[in-house]
Amino acid sequence: MSESTDVNGKNPVGRVAVVAAGVISPLGFGLAETLDSLRAARDCVTAVTRFSVAQCRCKTAGQVPDERLLAERRKEPRAQRFHRAAHMMIRALTEALRQDPKFKPELIVIGTTSGGMSYGEDYFRSLHRHGDLRRSPTWIANYPAQKPVVDALDAFGIRAPCQVIANACASGTNAIGHAFECVRSGRYERVLSGGYDALSELVFVGFDSLQASTPEKCRPFDRDRTGMVLGEGAAILALENLDAARARGASILAEITGYGISTDNFHLTQPNPSGSGPRQAMEQALQSAQLPTKVVDYINAHGTATPFNDTAEGKAIGELFDRGVPVSSTKSMMGHSLGAAGAVEAIVCLLALQHQFLPPNINFRAPDEDADLSIVANESRPASLRTVLSNSFGFGGTNASLVMQKFEA
Amino acid sequence: MSLAIAGMGWITPLGSGVDAVWERLLQGDEARAEKIAEKFDDQSYPGFRVPDSALASLAPHPRLRRASLISRFAAAAGLEALENAGVKLDPRNVERIALVFAISNGGVIYTKRFYRDIVESGAQSASPLFFPETVFNAPASHLAAILGITGATYTLVGDGAVGLLAIRMAEDLMANDALDYCLVVGAEEVDWLLCDAYHKWRLLRLEPPVEPFSEVARGMILSEGAGAILLAREGPIRIESTHAGGYYHKRDEVEEILKRILSDLIEAESGLVVASANGTFIDKAECRAISQVIPDAVVYTAKPALGESVGAGGLWQVIVGGQALRHGELPPLLHVPSKIPLRISASRAAAATARRAIVLSCGLNQQIAGLRLRADR
Repeated sequence: MSESTDVNGKNPVGRVAVVAAGVISPLGFGLAETLDSLRAARDCVTAVTRFSVAQCRCKTAGQVPDERLLAERRKEPRAQRFHRAAHMMIRALTEALRQDPKFKPELIVIGTTSGGMSYGEDYFRSLHRHGDLRRSPTWIANYPAQKPVVDALDAFGIRAPCQVIANACASGTNAIGHAFECVRSGRYERVLSGGYDALSELVFVGFDSLQASTPEKCRPFDRDRTGMVLGEGAAILALENLDAARARGASILAEITGYGISTDNFHLTQPNPSGSGPRQAMEQALQSAQLPTKVVDYINAHGTATPFNDTAEGKAIGELFDRGVPVSSTKSMMGHSLGAAGAVEAIVCLLALQHQFLPPNINFRAPDEDADLSIVANESRPASLRTVLSNSFGFGGTNASLVMQKFEA
Repeated sequence: MSLAIAGMGWITPLGSGVDAVWERLLQGDEARAEKIAEKFDDQSYPGFRVPDSALASLAPHPRLRRASLISRFAAAAGLEALENAGVKLDPRNVERIALVFAISNGGVIYTKRFYRDIVESGAQSASPLFFPETVFNAPASHLAAILGITGATYTLVGDGAVGLLAIRMAEDLMANDALDYCLVVGAEEVDWLLCDAYHKWRLLRLEPPVEPFSEVARGMILSEGAGAILLAREGPIRIESTHAGGYYHKRDEVEEILKRILSDLIEAESGLVVASANGTFIDKAECRAISQVIPDAVVYTAKPALGESVGAGGLWQVIVGGQALRHGELPPLLHVPSKIPLRISASRAAAATARRAIVLSCGLNQQIAGLRLRADR
């Protein structure tokens, strides 16, 4: 194992490779479609069709089209009962395992916020209205947050233990970050990581009730931003000790080199306006990677487009980095997929490193005077990228940052 | 890696305080079931609830003002574990502690209220006060704020095995020398909706008692509360080994997975098994696995006395195992059939020869985990 030591000079640390990846989101089914949408700066937010939004301020979301998702689902009878989140997980996992069929994980770490929530909604509505409860065993059994993960693993005969992290909107990044630390510490050689979430009425109305979501376009870091739109999706990254991966001839897509996590105790739903939580997470991630801020070539921001988040994150980025570092929030294109967001955005970073371009922050019109950032406005553009940083922050004051680097043998 | 339990805390339907509840278990007490009703349905269900008096000593905190019961339970158990360990968090050590939270159903009371408003009156009536409390990591966030933890905080979701999976995760985190402590907390609250769901799933019975290892699986009774352990490098009870666990696709796979976990964990002087038997299908699988792999061990489950608290259940089991090893004594196993192929005691019994205890957690929704404790005495 190629080893160095951590910042304290104590723990020997191995290098961690991403050897396979898979994704499904409003940007597309798979890496190729996702890349195409990112390069084309495609707006994949559409009118909500899954439930009534007549009484909501916000009417739009990034949605994975059901007709295609369900057409591609597995055919066995049991799969007909799966929650659509499980179908998304299976789609992402299929893509990753096709790239590296020999990847045998020892541990699975997946992030989510709401599991099979829409089945809980179906169950409650039927109960409350004394309606048809014949499907209740299916709803109940497939509602728990770990179920879509277990269903997806089972579809591929993977029997390794799984940890399902629910750290609100940072869940996906936390899952990848924890998986990274498990491999780097040498406790595991191969860990499958990622995140998923499917759109649900309860969560949609919840963000609407907080007036965090917008009736307009999602404009992260824009002076006139008015809030977020929700999204959905699933993404998988297969992590492996670099030497072990090379020894078996696996393709190395990129390296994960740093992870930071912090907890901001300011408020359950609002970040500390000082940006101290995000700043601590980013600093930790760079320390963990043993890198100075000046080497970061691109930041995929959490960038929800809420006034509070973007101000705090923008302040933290502005204080920590040189002004020139390009920043974008790809949530502008696909919405905020909550527990999937950090994993989908890690895929975005992976594609940016592999294809040497900056993903765009669409719907951007005017810079915010309070956040002096170099936004990748409205169009993707070619760039020489070696080191990128991805941020995710969530309710409960949880903050997470990942450092990913281009693999150079 | 071997870690130690430096402190423990719990709040249960038999009250709060590690030693106080332990004494009640030793005396053979069991929680009293309350009827839990819902205004839009005639069916009521029994549940083991935490008595109000158990929360009386919890100091007021701004974060708990509007928080759901689950967050209060978590705060009470977490604070007790720290006090029990004699650990005071201050600016010098607060960055050297992580929090791992185990949860299954989460803040179901507020979640139901929030969604009921939507169903009854439309989205415009949805309360922005309730929604944040519906998020799985809300209890962990409140506890982190109360304790001033600014570093790693994770909420792990799963079934009844999630408590042990959280301890396994804490062990992963403690591989990092930057941490001295990891507080692991499991919590759950009971609501009619949960009872109804488990009843429709044919896992809940409509009257106590909970009969573990019975020939006929009549079902469990849900309960609420929280358990917490403070993990450190040193302490009177060692977590000698955690098992990564596994999951089952079909119920007939449970026994084989449990056997594998037991075989991996068994060591000399493993004289005690704290089982997860709760009156459901898992009892038979557990009984067979234990009787075949570790037939000489004494078997105990606290679920007839405390109920099935799912997210908190695994932490309660570890506390029971720790207390049994510390005190060399076991509570009576309640409502157990007279003839089962296990070594059990229906009365308070000495367990002084057991230096090691295996804790098994078999969840109802596919996850299974285990660990081994050792007493340094």
